[in-house]
Amino acid sequence: MKQLFDKYKREFIVLLATIAMCAIFTIMNSNFLRWSNFLTILQQMVLNSILAVGMMFAIITGGIDLSIGCTFAITGIVVASITVGGGNPIIAIIAGLIVGAVLGAFNGFLVNNLKLQPFIATLGTMSLYRGIAYVVTGGQPVTNVPDSYRNIFNGKMFAGIRYYIIVMIIVFIIAYIILQKTRTGAYLYAVGGNEEAAKLSGVNTVRTKYIAYIICGVCASIAGLVMLASLGSAESTAGTGYETNAIAAAAIGGTRMAGGRGTPFGTFIGGLMLAVLKVGMVVINVDSFWQYVVTGIIIIVASYFEFLQQDVQAFLARRKQA
Amino acid sequence: MKKKILATILAASMVMGLAACGGSAGSGSAGAAAPAESTAADAGDTAEAATGEFNPDKDPSSTTIEEIREKLGEEVPVKAGYNLAAIEKSISNEFWRTLQEGYEKAAENVNAVVEINIEVDATTDEGDETGQQTMVENAVNQGVSAIMASPISDANLTTAVENAQDANIPVINVNDGLIAIADYYCGPNAYQNGLLAAEWVSNKLGDEGQVGIVVGMAKAFAARERTAGFKDWIADNNSGLEVVAEQNADWDRQKAKELAATWIIQYPDMKAIFCNNDDMALGVVEAVDEAEADILVVGVDGIGEAYDSIRAGKLDATVDSFPYYMAQVATEVTLRALAGQDVPHVTATPQALIDSENVDKDAAEIIGWTDTKYVAE
Repeated sequence: MKQLFDKYKREFIVLLATIAMCAIFTIMNSNFLRWSNFLTILQQMVLNSILAVGMMFAIITGGIDLSIGCTFAITGIVVASITVGGGNPIIAIIAGLIVGAVLGAFNGFLVNNLKLQPFIATLGTMSLYRGIAYVVTGGQPVTNVPDSYRNIFNGKMFAGIRYYIIVMIIVFIIAYIILQKTRTGAYLYAVGGNEEAAKLSGVNTVRTKYIAYIICGVCASIAGLVMLASLGSAESTAGTGYETNAIAAAAIGGTRMAGGRGTPFGTFIGGLMLAVLKVGMVVINVDSFWQYVVTGIIIIVASYFEFLQQDVQAFLARRKQA
Repeated sequence: MKKKILATILAASMVMGLAACGGSAGSGSAGAAAPAESTAADAGDTAEAATGEFNPDKDPSSTTIEEIREKLGEEVPVKAGYNLAAIEKSISNEFWRTLQEGYEKAAENVNAVVEINIEVDATTDEGDETGQQTMVENAVNQGVSAIMASPISDANLTTAVENAQDANIPVINVNDGLIAIADYYCGPNAYQNGLLAAEWVSNKLGDEGQVGIVVGMAKAFAARERTAGFKDWIADNNSGLEVVAEQNADWDRQKAKELAATWIIQYPDMKAIFCNNDDMALGVVEAVDEAEADILVVGVDGIGEAYDSIRAGKLDATVDSFPYYMAQVATEVTLRALAGQDVPHVTATPQALIDSENVDKDAAEIIGWTDTKYVAE
């Protein structure tokens, strides 16, 4: 137990902060503490959290992927076109995931083979992919997605829980297994921690980084699949700016921006915290302008917390010595 | 260590910066970055608003095209050989594409009588402010007869418009970004959007019940005017409607859906939701459907998807500002101005509320449109 706490100290602290936030919202409006509201929070964290866990893979290797919002949109358009045209929903889903993998692999190609800075490479593909989305659709939305597709994700189980919540949980479990239980996971952390050292000790850094960007692209696609089921239409402008919230969720959850650290559990809590914040501020009816201010402050405080924590530890260590 | 600090600062500042300006795309007609001190609070008060910056919704000269025709005569004299430049925004957006069709239709109407030319030019996306400026500069250099411009922002065309005026080329501001120095302004009255929507909701609900407003924030002029119109109608008519919630959804369909889902739980008695554009309204409709709630949803813009949704019995109403006719009104105003007529500074272009009763009616019939009578001068 102590071991578990030590390993996930940061994550538990963010979880406590989230619970404290829930308490504050409940004090301000007792309606906050209702099952239906809790369900809303869970539903509203799904898209951002799935995007964030993919983003976390890119960040762990010391990179970043700014193009996920566009991959998200393209997936929606491709899958919508197939299903509206009468295609099998399962084939459409597979096609959507392939789109994510291909777009992610292209990011990997730019970073690995052309040796571009991930920030610049994906800044480029962000515009490129968005442009493709516009060109393919001519700016027109694809509408009237059939229920046979929508129900796969949007259907309800017991207690009003929708299937896409299960999808999110599965994505996080798979991410956990990849990072904690496989050799690839160890390589991902090694590449992000110190790429040269990893290379010298025999890690195939190119392959590892390809995997990170492909996973990131696939996660963006999964989020796109869920969005399409939830809205029933795909637009070329969908997902604009979503990468920023994904980065925020990962960062709040303790993913180190320089790479080498980050856990699915932390990112999950980070996504949860942002969803609690979003729903909570609507429930207590905070003015929209202030929501930006509060969200920004929380991201900064949460990101700074890591250094604070290190300082405190260093201070305690010095005192012990003295 | 230094590298890590730098990386975190970079990430944090990027998140902040981008979060603040994200998600404004696809707002349809809802353009117009607002002057920061735009008069949202005193929007109902013409006297106060008049002292502020240019606001076409409150401009005392504001006139409809019918009034103009009545005052200046039905016939519009046109000299052969006019060369008009129409410069707009991204035609990947349905709204601007329709505006372009309107210009083409207007050119066709004029050309049936005398030969003129209308050249439509549009930026590839809604953010290319300097590209649009270049287009206006080009038109000035070519020595066109007049420029009809739909600016991306309030400021991006200012220099180019000054150049046009130095060259004695009249500039007609057609909707969206507000060029304070433009000779004429043609566009829908965003404030009236809100009035129409509120009146409709009130009629449908027997003038009582809780309502919510989903606003689009990033480019705020149209949003604020629409919201102010909606709320002022309620206040001015001592309406039994009660605005219990008002939140921003960044013009984003998914965000609007999530917002509405939260409201439906939070305010079980909510009876109607007014959205600043159709995109957000279509998201709200999904949330209402999923919750199987009995809530009226009203949007603004009149995009094709909104019409489809009204026909399918999902969306309840939208306020259409008819870009197809907006372009024709703008062309008429421009040609009247070129003929030396005393055209008012602001022309309010037609708009109407569309619901299940008139969704299949011809737009020209709804707004009582008759084609302009052009005559050779």
